[in-house]
Amino acid sequence: MNIESRKKALRHFFAKLVEPMGFKFTPDAELAEFLLEQEVKLEVKHGVPFCPCQPIRRDRSRDMQIVCPCIPFHREHFDAMKRCWCGLFVHRDVTDPDSLPQMSAKEMGIE
Amino acid sequence: MYTLSTCPWCRKTKQFFNQHQIPFEFVDYDLADEATQDKIMRELDVEGVKGFPFVRIGDQTVEGYQPERFAKLLGIRSSTE
Repeated sequence: MNIESRKKALRHFFAKLVEPMGFKFTPDAELAEFLLEQEVKLEVKHGVPFCPCQPIRRDRSRDMQIVCPCIPFHREHFDAMKRCWCGLFVHRDVTDPDSLPQMSAKEMGIE
Repeated sequence: MYTLSTCPWCRKTKQFFNQHQIPFEFVDYDLADEATQDKIMRELDVEGVKGFPFVRIGDQTVEGYQPERFAKLLGIRSSTE
């Protein structure tokens, strides 16, 4: 698999999925490129582009909840942070992604 | 700390500790053998942890890259830039 072409394909595919949920790619281009590259490598290894920042448990039902974009499975938590856990996606109004917290749902008062 | 080799926030967390010359131990979960992964997951399930990095400082735990919280728990001044 050509990593660059697959990154481009994922970017195109993901944008269509996250936009209706009120998210967009992070404006931090370097971070987005790094994360997409990790996802392509995870896809090569595991068959699906898992989140690079959440553990694969070898439990299919739980692992399917961390396939990018995993926003629908963590909607309340990610909406509270205005970002997904790895930061590839942020709320569409976010211009400064570095200002966003990376905190557990429990810390955000959700669970 | 428990980290993932694919996670930029895990890298930032290690950088934070290195920059502040705080010794630490870590395991990259994704590079560990299955028995070690299972052990880590049992530990994290008790804590209710879902994402990495996961850091234990004394008897406190931190989920996510939280430099200000690390600094507070370590009793140091935060300088993440």
